[in-house]
Amino acid sequence: MKVAIKAIEYYLPTCVENGKSLKADNPDWRIGDIEEKTGIKNRYIAEENETAVDMAEHAARKLLSSEIKPDDVDFVILVTQSPDYALPTSACILQDRLKLKTSCLAFDVNLGCSGFVYGLAIASSLISAGLVKSGLLVCSDTYTKFIDKHDRTCRPLFSDGAAATLLTSSADDLIGPFELGSDGSGFDKLIVKSSGAHEMQNQTQEKKLYMEGSSVFMFTMDMVPKCVNGLLKKANKEIDDIDLFVFHQASKLVIDSIIRRLDLPENKVFTNYQNVGNTVSATIPIALCDILRDKGLKSGSQVMLVGFGVGYSWGGCIVQWGPEA
Amino acid sequence: MKESDVIKIIGNALKLENIELNEDSSVDNIDEWDSLGHLGVLVALDKAFDGKIASIKEIATADSVGKILQVLKANSFL
Repeated sequence: MKVAIKAIEYYLPTCVENGKSLKADNPDWRIGDIEEKTGIKNRYIAEENETAVDMAEHAARKLLSSEIKPDDVDFVILVTQSPDYALPTSACILQDRLKLKTSCLAFDVNLGCSGFVYGLAIASSLISAGLVKSGLLVCSDTYTKFIDKHDRTCRPLFSDGAAATLLTSSADDLIGPFELGSDGSGFDKLIVKSSGAHEMQNQTQEKKLYMEGSSVFMFTMDMVPKCVNGLLKKANKEIDDIDLFVFHQASKLVIDSIIRRLDLPENKVFTNYQNVGNTVSATIPIALCDILRDKGLKSGSQVMLVGFGVGYSWGGCIVQWGPEA
Repeated sequence: MKESDVIKIIGNALKLENIELNEDSSVDNIDEWDSLGHLGVLVALDKAFDGKIASIKEIATADSVGKILQVLKANSFL
């Protein structure tokens, strides 16, 4: 698609948790074993009154101060599963906070770890169709608000954060193809059961995140290799043609297993889960931002992005890094 | 692959040194076999069967040696 990623910025809350914080609340946890499997050393925790829209605003303002004027933003897509309200759409609140024009499209996408890639597909389609020229794809979640402090499956993984990506029309085909999919049979493997319409029916259950880690892990092992191979076939490319793989930063165990299953060269797989944690839909754009800040990407680099998880849902795409970035 | 090979793989994944596993060994009676240990077991089995067991949904929740062997047999891996 004739669309380019022009810039990315992100925001992480100021509160950082590490193994000591986990141990303080859970003296019986073997932190060494946990960190060996997750690889995650630091996680960011939103303040009690800090919401997904607050974090999204922080990230988006960084782009508005340097990359684009508010009047040139034609759309704002907010990917979140922890919206400020069940209704209205949090993206509308963000549109107002950022003082974007009222002709700006604003809507939420309720997806988790696949959300950035889905957001790219939606935004690229809107731009390619000529409905809009440029806008913001913002991924922001506060999953830690749903996590019990004694939940050993979820707490060592999830982190709060927001990333804002500026997308614009381009003279060249830079984003795509896409490989997107869903398998709702796994909906109850990663879920906040007492939420939405079910909040009234399940009042005995706390509004907490539940993850059947083993099932989610095996879904990942089954589906991610299929997604990567399907995408390569669609793009008529081989693994060697891809310069860099950026997977959803789920955990060390997951990314190491993907590398093994696909026999990928480790130096072509970027990771930053160690210091950022799993920020759900924001992991991929945060990783891209870190790549651009640290080493940059050569113009023409072929970068594969793959997100996967809650839903189940997955999405992959290839981005050719252009001179706009 | 034989049943005894699978039991050995599970034991190694759980880093058990002085414990002999049998069909009744499970998350309920092996301390090391907690949720993290179970992920280690799944990774080891995935490696041993060259990624072919990932599509079997029941393997994820098979939380004892007996259940794992049963799932592998039912799917013709043993």
